[in-house]
Amino acid sequence: MKEKMSKKDMTDKNEIKPDRWRELRLSLQVFFSNKAAVAGLVIFLFYFFDALILQFFPQILPFKHPYSLTPNYADPIPLPPSWKHPFGTTYPGVDLLRAVIKSIRLDFWLSLEIVIPGAIIGLIIGIIATYFGGWIDEVLMRITDIVFSIPYLVLAIAIGYVLGRTLNSMMIALILVWWPLYARYARSVTLETKELTFIEAARASGTSNFKIMFKHILPNSLPPVFVQISLDLGTIMLTISALAFIGFLPAANLPELGYLTSLGYNYIQTAPWAMIIPGLFIVLFALAVNLMGDGFRDVIDPRRRSEL
Amino acid sequence: MIIAARQLSKFFDVKGVKNAKIRAVENVNIEIKEGEIVGLVGESGSGKSTLGRLLIRLIEPTSGEILYNIPDDELDEFDIALKNNDQNAVKKIVDKYSIMRLHGKELKTFRRNVGIVFQDPYSSLDPRLKIEDIIAEPIVETGFLKGPKVKARVLELLDEVQLPREFSYRFPHELSGGQRQRVALARGIATNPKLVILDEPTSALDVSIQAEILELLKELRKKYNMAMLLITHNISVVSYMADRVFVMYAGKIMEKGNKNDIIKNPEHPYTQALISAVPQIKRVRQRIILKGDPPNLINPPKGCRFHPRCPVALPICGWTADEVKPTLEYLISSKYFTEFSNTKVEVKDELELTVYNAKADKLREIINIEKENLRPLMSIKDIIDENGNVTLKLYKYETPELIKLENGREVECLLFSKFKE
Amino acid sequence: MSYKMETSNLSSNLAPIVKVENFHLHYYTRRGVYKALNGVNLEIRKGEVLGVAGESGCGKSTLGRSIMGLIPRNAAVVNGRILVDGKDYLKPLNDYYKKAKKFKPTKNADILKKVNEEMSSIRGQKISMVFQEPMTTLNPLLQVGYQIAEVLYYHNPGLLASRRLSRHRATKEDMKNIIKILKENGINEKLTDYLKSRNILGLEDQVISIWRRKDLHDLKKEQIIEKLCCEPINSFTKKYLEVIEKENKLPNFSRVPIIGRLVKRELFKEGYKKASEFLGLLGIPNADKMVYMYPHELSGGQRQRIVIAIAMINNPELVILDEPTSALDVTIQAQILELIKELKESTNSSYMFISHDLSVLAEVSDRIAIMYAGQVVEVGKKENIFDQPKHPYTQMLMEAIPTIEVHELKGIKGEVPDMRNPPKGCMFRDRCPYAMPICAEKRPDLIKVGEDHYVACFLYEGGKS
Repeated sequence: MKEKMSKKDMTDKNEIKPDRWRELRLSLQVFFSNKAAVAGLVIFLFYFFDALILQFFPQILPFKHPYSLTPNYADPIPLPPSWKHPFGTTYPGVDLLRAVIKSIRLDFWLSLEIVIPGAIIGLIIGIIATYFGGWIDEVLMRITDIVFSIPYLVLAIAIGYVLGRTLNSMMIALILVWWPLYARYARSVTLETKELTFIEAARASGTSNFKIMFKHILPNSLPPVFVQISLDLGTIMLTISALAFIGFLPAANLPELGYLTSLGYNYIQTAPWAMIIPGLFIVLFALAVNLMGDGFRDVIDPRRRSEL
Repeated sequence: MIIAARQLSKFFDVKGVKNAKIRAVENVNIEIKEGEIVGLVGESGSGKSTLGRLLIRLIEPTSGEILYNIPDDELDEFDIALKNNDQNAVKKIVDKYSIMRLHGKELKTFRRNVGIVFQDPYSSLDPRLKIEDIIAEPIVETGFLKGPKVKARVLELLDEVQLPREFSYRFPHELSGGQRQRVALARGIATNPKLVILDEPTSALDVSIQAEILELLKELRKKYNMAMLLITHNISVVSYMADRVFVMYAGKIMEKGNKNDIIKNPEHPYTQALISAVPQIKRVRQRIILKGDPPNLINPPKGCRFHPRCPVALPICGWTADEVKPTLEYLISSKYFTEFSNTKVEVKDELELTVYNAKADKLREIINIEKENLRPLMSIKDIIDENGNVTLKLYKYETPELIKLENGREVECLLFSKFKE
Repeated sequence: MSYKMETSNLSSNLAPIVKVENFHLHYYTRRGVYKALNGVNLEIRKGEVLGVAGESGCGKSTLGRSIMGLIPRNAAVVNGRILVDGKDYLKPLNDYYKKAKKFKPTKNADILKKVNEEMSSIRGQKISMVFQEPMTTLNPLLQVGYQIAEVLYYHNPGLLASRRLSRHRATKEDMKNIIKILKENGINEKLTDYLKSRNILGLEDQVISIWRRKDLHDLKKEQIIEKLCCEPINSFTKKYLEVIEKENKLPNFSRVPIIGRLVKRELFKEGYKKASEFLGLLGIPNADKMVYMYPHELSGGQRQRIVIAIAMINNPELVILDEPTSALDVTIQAQILELIKELKESTNSSYMFISHDLSVLAEVSDRIAIMYAGQVVEVGKKENIFDQPKHPYTQMLMEAIPTIEVHELKGIKGEVPDMRNPPKGCMFRDRCPYAMPICAEKRPDLIKVGEDHYVACFLYEGGKS
């Protein structure tokens, strides 16, 4: 036994030293070498902290009503940017800077609340469909296709009509139209993973299908899905804003970027900032998460990892 | 026998094409004794990997029986029963030994008794699991051991495959190809199986590492007396490792026998060609270069599947009119074009062709000259003149079956059935 | 310093086409600098097959690609040079590396672009390459004939033009004379002389390829050859083909949209013809049908033949074969090896055959170079390498190869050194049973141990140091 060990030590000399942090360091290196992604991350962090503070520590900020807009009916006409109102005001006398800061909270959390359940449902359905294949795959994917073909606006209006015009009904409508995207995506990722021989090895070891799906396939499918989530946050926020713009909000005075845009809509000729500034914040978020998502994609791409 | 398969077939569906099946394995008989290393040689697409997976029920066969741990005398009984079509006797043995009827706990016990090692050490280990979890998977899942004993067994296995114990905390990507394959090997033997399927265990490795892995396999076999099925395209590896050899081509077993007999004195024309094709540092044997490619298994050649490439094919080896037609057309249109004018060849049915505007004598003469080089022409039995047109009739083909020769050797070739008669 | 002396010793009666001198190539990656080639000395001589053997990661493929200039942007040419016909194409990269304080892949990429432009004139024409995986080398969307014709179109349009023109120029009288010459003398200079005097040299390979066919009746051959002449041609086509024939490059007007289309169509049509002739020479049955097929319709062996045809069609001086048979089955591998042997006899090209399988190399090579960890450790005639391997690595490699005739196998203990952090001194030291103190200090140079047999090992330096 001892002899064997000494022999092993000999062969062990050339081994790569186990370094738990090496891969993480490398991932960070790859991400930070993509300048656009870093810019995206910075902008994203701004939105994130904004949402975080307003949600959990609103007292830090000098807002009397952090969760609603504060109109000033004395002076409802939009005013141009000035020292008092750096972003100007919008109808009815709402300070745009404060309004934007308040609005980001709702948009941000709502996007997450839609994307994450959507991704979970989609992943489960996609993995089950691919793993079993055959008619299960056929049925699940056809259902996915049917749901996918429903236009989200129509569905949102229908659900709003049935459940009432609440944020929850908006959320449900969007989750319902969003999961098929992830189901399809998870399917394409899982199809690759499924062909790898370690799945076959697990079956040869007598591992149950359920365990194979959630111990082997899911962890290996997660990174690309995570990238997709980060890319999707922007699209979802655009969608929410679009719904709010056409009036799909439970109450007036609810700070939301799309709603803010719609407030300035009537003054587009006399006071363009009232529409452009909230619109800009919507687009900026979509851009930032896209850039950031590209950075994440670099991180999981083995070729990008090794090349300089 | 640790495992024996009888009339085993596996047809895969072709996606998008109705009624088309890839006949990956057809009517195969194979048996592995306790503690022996059986080499299964064949080219890619010959069905050797499919056969390996069938034997441990990783995929379900289309038809046929796989019998596990069956005593030799009962296997003989089974063979006789099959021959006589004695359904009762067949059922009795099948119920007792077949792995097709295993479920739940019994299946897990069976899984404990068989192991498998795959070709590619890069994709056969889950990149998200630690080495100890990878090796422990079969131990835990088959209920071989529980609790703290699992960890002890993992460490023991690492010793067994000559890897340092610290490796248990590493991830696969931190290991080199040879080390990964050792991990895969440790997983394959983790539950002390009686049979290990080795699916091209060294094909992805460098020669210097291959030799070490082969040595390790031999050592393990000696120590635990486990049976191994070594699936490979590399005859040299089989020649080094195996006790017995099965040669597969296009989903069928072509020849089986003791290693020394097969390597030194191959009987089947395919085995001969295969062995002579292996590149050698010092060439001893004359090289036989096979023409063409392995057949399409959706619509495999009739009769013997090797006949289109066989350098010594007989008239009855499986030629059909569709195969004879292009050869005739070639002769008529280019090599002997001066002899013919406005001549056409048409397939009448599987064994009959009509040649329009030709003379029987001329055709007979040409066929006699060319038949040594153009094997399909051998199958022409009759050349009948019918006022200006010629009807060609082919020999009826036969499908070869495994024929027992001396010394446990079996060959599936009509050359031998003819000699027997 | 010392290597110069050594390489001058290496030269022999056969002139080299490619000479690699003390070549170092490093890959800059995020995981560190991967030192792929560490001082390679090698030459490829006219008309020989040089086998390059080594395990994965020893740099044999990198060496092949470096000769072609096909290196990625993060590859730094650290030292040494590769002379192709006396010219060092990679010199700008080396200059950049020496000048730069910090190696930047983007900068390197700019220089590499220029190098590539310069090398494109010799790639596919003087040297060409066959890769391991025929499915990924061929474009799945293009017909096989198109892909062969493309090489001709870009590198040798003059040949295509002259083939077409000479079929127009040749008269019935000419064809009769050609057949007469062929019948009397077979294929020799007389035919060439006659064609030259009649200004129809483009017919040469067309006639020869028909005459060489074994599957045709002689009369049929004559009939086909006779039909080659007097092909009509419109005056416009004739004009531009004459320009291309004279210049042997694509004229500027071929970039004009519609005219360019016409030129391309005419030349590609000719290219398909040449392609099917060439495939016929490579022993592919029904070559005239095969050129209209797509890669997925072919089997692995046929695809590899197509790839070889693309590499060989311009009659290059050197063909680099990078594991051409590793993805194929043994019986198909035997076919391809046989083909390469035939090609070696029938052409005067040189071949660099890269393989991890020494027994494959034994079948085809004249000389064999053994590589280990980015260096050539032994090079010599095939017989010498196999009968009297000198380097401990070569010796151990021989013992590790399983053969049909059973012998005791011995693996080589240990692993290839981590090339990001290679050991000082001899790279094989850690696995070598004969390691000496000096092995840890410096790297051995190639020294002569026999006729045309060189080894990089201190065991044989005995008297010298």
